[in-house]
Amino acid sequence: MNQSDLQALRTPLLVLLAVLVAGALAIYFTAQLMTAARQQLLQQQAQLKQAQVRLQKSGDEKDIIVRYLDRFRQLESTGFIGEEQRINWLDGLRLANQQADLFGVDYQIGGQKPYPFAAEFNPGQLALNQSLMQLRFRLLHEGDLLRFFDALARQGGGIFTVDQCLLRRIDTRGVIRFQPNVSADCELSWITARIGAGPEQRKP
Amino acid sequence: MADKLLIGISAQGATVGYWRERKIVECRTFASDEAGQAGFKEHLAQFPTVPVHIVVDAVEEDYRFETLPHAIGSDRAEMVSRKLKQHYRNTPYLSAWLLGRDSGKRRDDRYLFSALTNPELLGDWLQAVIARGLPVAGIHLMPMVTAGLLDKLAVKATNLLVVAQHAGGLRLTFFRDHQFRLSRLTRGESGKAESNTRYFTDEISNTRLYLHALRTMTLDEPLTVALIDRGDALQEAAAGIARDNPGLECVRFGRRDLADRLGLDEALLEASPYAIYLHLLGLKEPHSNLAPASVTVGYKRYQARRGVYAGCAALAAAVAIWSGTNLYFAWMLRGDTEDAGRRTAQLSSEYLEVTRQFPRAPTTAENLKKAVEIGQRLRESTHSPQKMMALVGRALEASPAIIVREFGWKYGTTEISTDGARARAPATSAAPAPVATSTGPASSRKESALIEGEVRPFRGDYRSAIAAINGFAGRLAAQPEVAEVQVVKLPLNVNPALSLSGNTLDNPEQSGSTADFKLLLVFKPGA
Repeated sequence: MNQSDLQALRTPLLVLLAVLVAGALAIYFTAQLMTAARQQLLQQQAQLKQAQVRLQKSGDEKDIIVRYLDRFRQLESTGFIGEEQRINWLDGLRLANQQADLFGVDYQIGGQKPYPFAAEFNPGQLALNQSLMQLRFRLLHEGDLLRFFDALARQGGGIFTVDQCLLRRIDTRGVIRFQPNVSADCELSWITARIGAGPEQRKP
Repeated sequence: MADKLLIGISAQGATVGYWRERKIVECRTFASDEAGQAGFKEHLAQFPTVPVHIVVDAVEEDYRFETLPHAIGSDRAEMVSRKLKQHYRNTPYLSAWLLGRDSGKRRDDRYLFSALTNPELLGDWLQAVIARGLPVAGIHLMPMVTAGLLDKLAVKATNLLVVAQHAGGLRLTFFRDHQFRLSRLTRGESGKAESNTRYFTDEISNTRLYLHALRTMTLDEPLTVALIDRGDALQEAAAGIARDNPGLECVRFGRRDLADRLGLDEALLEASPYAIYLHLLGLKEPHSNLAPASVTVGYKRYQARRGVYAGCAALAAAVAIWSGTNLYFAWMLRGDTEDAGRRTAQLSSEYLEVTRQFPRAPTTAENLKKAVEIGQRLRESTHSPQKMMALVGRALEASPAIIVREFGWKYGTTEISTDGARARAPATSAAPAPVATSTGPASSRKESALIEGEVRPFRGDYRSAIAAINGFAGRLAAQPEVAEVQVVKLPLNVNPALSLSGNTLDNPEQSGSTADFKLLLVFKPGA
């Protein structure tokens, strides 16, 4: 094929090129349309299945609400569900101090953060958070530590876990009287749950 | 089917037929003079890019049947080209048609070489066509086109002589077993019917003699004459031929008969003797194209252009089908989506109706359940130093010489630090909080404790002090929930890798030295 042959075929080849480009674009865009339509269908089918399951399980749902609502309200009132109730915690500290006959409790509460072990509980749509509380207090003897925690738990100020404690004997030089003999430094995690931010909690 | 321009050229002039939708729709004749040439050029101007097929009716034609050694590819082309040049030096219009293989042992190739030996006959006409820019598809000799007539006439004869009166004279074309063997164009025409009969009879007889001389056919063999009588004027001639030649069968094809068999308009048959051949040429391109490559180059480009356009059309059709299929499926899928959406909405409304009968709740049933279960699990999984303190207390009862000064406890993914007590204090530990979910399951957390104390009384007897500490550690390690007990520090470091110094005269009570130790106690995970 020489130059003049190519010259003679220039227009048809340009037309062919145009058809190729237009054809490729047409196929690409229509394929995209089809893919998008398929994805929409899959999504809609998933929603449909979800709606079917939800409707089928509506009876179970009612049972669950009836079964768990009271306990949920109770947890809500104690401060486990919803916003942190720091005043309740401090009231609880004060009362526990009195009930355990301690010599006063120094406290320091840190900022609220996501609970690092939330994934262990598969919280779903619930967001579990924790606030660390550092406690420093003095005891008559080691047993008062456990009495204090028991008393704090009984106050109903929420749910907490003891992360670590350090008990140190105070040198009283052998004098026996009602005085602190042991100092304690402890760290607690006050755990709260909030509804609606679960996914972030699950994927930190 | 594509349009064509069919041109029949003879010494007397040119006949142009315009082929459209498998028939000649227009036929004009131009004389071989200046006016005819001018009219021809003017007529061609109507057709922008229509391929041209030419048939030549001339006395100056030559046919040779030859056998060549069998060859293929470029060898064959070279050999055939050499042979053509050898036979026809003075004309570019020549052709070789491979008829088949010889039945002999060598199985040589049988060829029909043909040529138009007077190229000037075509000159002006062809020049006008090329000047007009019309692509020339082929140039053929009249007998080659006549071969297409045999199927239409449906004459079953071994030896068939087709006789037709043309502008330039009488054309006699002989076919044996439906294969072209010989053709003659004789000049001369008689006006009267009587002399016409004589003229036809003589020429047929001459042709038979010639065939006999060529050893193509003997005089004894039966011969069928197909008389093409487009003007319905040869009835007497046909009868005369049959009468004068008893061993000869003469079949006359009149105008109506020809028109019916060829599917040709009778008016066209009357207009030109070449209308039949132009029609045959339009129906089928015969073998033996005389046109050299320099003449057909335009047609090859025309074909290439049409090929590309056909490819474009095929591509566009494929794209249209593909895209249409995609759109159809997209439309179907959208329909399914809308249907699923309607059903979802219906189920949702049914669900809403059902939930109206539910007790009022601050959140979904699932959230209620989860919140309660998590709260319960958190309460149940709460750890405190109680268990470890009780275990240490039991061990201390059996070890009265052990005095505990500090007791550090931790519940976490890592063990309690064995550094100084100040560093371990919760306030200063900056809570090496486990990183969110990277910490693993609950069972990975465990309780650990660091016990700092001394052996009292201690009177410099390191052996018994270390034995007391080891005994204490052993009692702790014997408990089932204990995973590990590690003596972090002893009163005396007996490691042979380190240096050791002291004075045996020193009174430990006065010098203030004590038998301090540190024990790391680790519970099994989940204990």
